Amino acid sequence: MTQINVRYYAILREQAGMTHQSVDTPAHTADALFTELSAAHGFTVPRNLMKVAINGEFCDFSRVLNAHDEVVFIPPVAGG
Amino acid sequence: MPMTRWSSSRPLLVADMTSFFGFSSQPLSPTDETAFLADPSCGGFASFEGWVRDENEGQRVNRLDYEAYVELAVSEGEKITAEAQRRFGVRQVRCIHRIGELAIGDLAVWVGVAAPHRAEAFAACRYVIDEIKHRLPIWKKEYYASGDSGWVNCERCAQPPEQHHEHHHHKHSDNPNHSGDTQGQSGASDYSRQMRLPEVGAKGQAKLRSSRVLVVGAGGLGVPVLCYLAGAGIGTLGLIDHDELEASNLHRQTLYAIGDVGKPKALLAAKHLRSLNPEVDVRPHVAKADRSTINDLIDDYDIVVDCADNFATTYAVHDAARAKGKAIILASLYQYEGQLQVIQANQLGSCLRCVWQHATPDGITGTCQTAGVLGPVVGVLASLQALETIKLLLDLPGRLIDEVLLVDLVSLEMRRLKALRHPTCEPTCTRLPTAPADAAQATELSFASLLEASQAGFCLVDIREPSEVADYACPVKSLVIPMGRLLQNPDALPQEQKVLLLCARGARSKGTVQALRERGLSHVWSLLGGLDAYR
Ligand SMILES: [Zn+2]
Repeated sequence: MTQINVRYYAILREQAGMTHQSVDTPAHTADALFTELSAAHGFTVPRNLMKVAINGEFCDFSRVLNAHDEVVFIPPVAGG
Repeated sequence: MPMTRWSSSRPLLVADMTSFFGFSSQPLSPTDETAFLADPSCGGFASFEGWVRDENEGQRVNRLDYEAYVELAVSEGEKITAEAQRRFGVRQVRCIHRIGELAIGDLAVWVGVAAPHRAEAFAACRYVIDEIKHRLPIWKKEYYASGDSGWVNCERCAQPPEQHHEHHHHKHSDNPNHSGDTQGQSGASDYSRQMRLPEVGAKGQAKLRSSRVLVVGAGGLGVPVLCYLAGAGIGTLGLIDHDELEASNLHRQTLYAIGDVGKPKALLAAKHLRSLNPEVDVRPHVAKADRSTINDLIDDYDIVVDCADNFATTYAVHDAARAKGKAIILASLYQYEGQLQVIQANQLGSCLRCVWQHATPDGITGTCQTAGVLGPVVGVLASLQALETIKLLLDLPGRLIDEVLLVDLVSLEMRRLKALRHPTCEPTCTRLPTAPADAAQATELSFASLLEASQAGFCLVDIREPSEVADYACPVKSLVIPMGRLLQNPDALPQEQKVLLLCARGARSKGTVQALRERGLSHVWSLLGGLDAYR
């Protein structure tokens, strides 16, 4: 299990009911982590519309997770 | 008590032609000042004295404080006295202005002119006092009998310039670094507060004045952006918006008035901005911002500020501006959060499509209309857009470059995420989608009843969340596939039958149809108005 700090934005924050959480996860990639959290929180935005940033940098969902990474899931927003 | 005076030059010998301007923190003596102007070749002497009076706009004034931006005011004051000398052919010109605390009846400003003949002396004296009142960065704080106090001259009047009275306290000091000639015609904008910043100064102000910025959208983001940019003195300010004002806009679009509901926002905003700063060339366009309208306008501008409220417009604006090598300041928001991105004009950095390759169909992730928004949240993002615009124009440090700023106003946290240029991003960004689905092909359908849709051969697919379905199920036979699952697995749809997606109000289904069409599914349509339209 890897300990990861996750932050949620916009509709994910709304659906998760929290802005951030610390998770112990078996997931090895951002992709697997998102799938796990989607199931847990009932996210409705499909993964292919999302972006992920790890430790302050946008990256691919295939990126391998390391302990204590800060993972930010960001849906696109358009309001103005 | 010793006299304290500020001036960058000393008066010359009285027999020479002199022009002088200075400040004094001590009471003025007309006799002493006149003595400086003694000149045997002069047959006429005219002077003007400005006194502190006890009333302003119906308020009793007890005393006042004068404050000046001394360095700039002295250099501009010297220009004015020299201009008077040259323009009217007078020999001696002198003007002293008080600063500090003054009482009623005190001498606030003294102007003296000596000339061979009286006519030039009068004219030059009048010229000096008028220009001083108009051009110098001098402010006065009035202390009223009511106990209140207020700064006069330092803020713009609420009235448009054509209604300004001739009372001297209504005159505005102008940018002291401009020549007198442009100032007389240019209204009365006062940038002294921002010019006082070392990073702005006269040079920065000149840069702002020569800049051309196009703002797309005159709504929640657009309104504060437009106001700040007009206030800052951006020379040319274009705005494009095709919407008419709605009452629901007013909680966050604070330049509009409830009496203007129904009028085109671009024109309302332009009127306001012109009265805010008559120096700005405000160019309103009542039109929908799309690739073609932006293409028509873009050559006249250096920077585009995207204040649109939907993905389709943002991507159209971005692609048009990016292709022309214009800088783009993008912002968007959701409830209490926002994102900000600055696309550099040099086309070398990352663009919107480097981060988000395809436009998300509108309706999937919520809009201000469906998800709600607070006025100040939009205001924060808009202020950041205006700020990044000015930082970009003035080449200030700390700008967002190849980054996305996430702003979370619940936790009050901001995060700068590095967003590198995508390897396939070309200067004109080839990460553009391949030819969009035939725009003429309708994506939305409506029927006399849901049953009729079913009888017309459509497979109805309810894409709402299970909880919504539990609250109110579609009264006609339908498949239930929540939107998220459907977008992840479009194969779940029937392949041989026309498909009609439905949600509560028709927004999510429309967006989902757009997304599916982009992936090559041509047999899907959205139910216009959603289930609500058939209940
Ligand atoms: Zn790009």
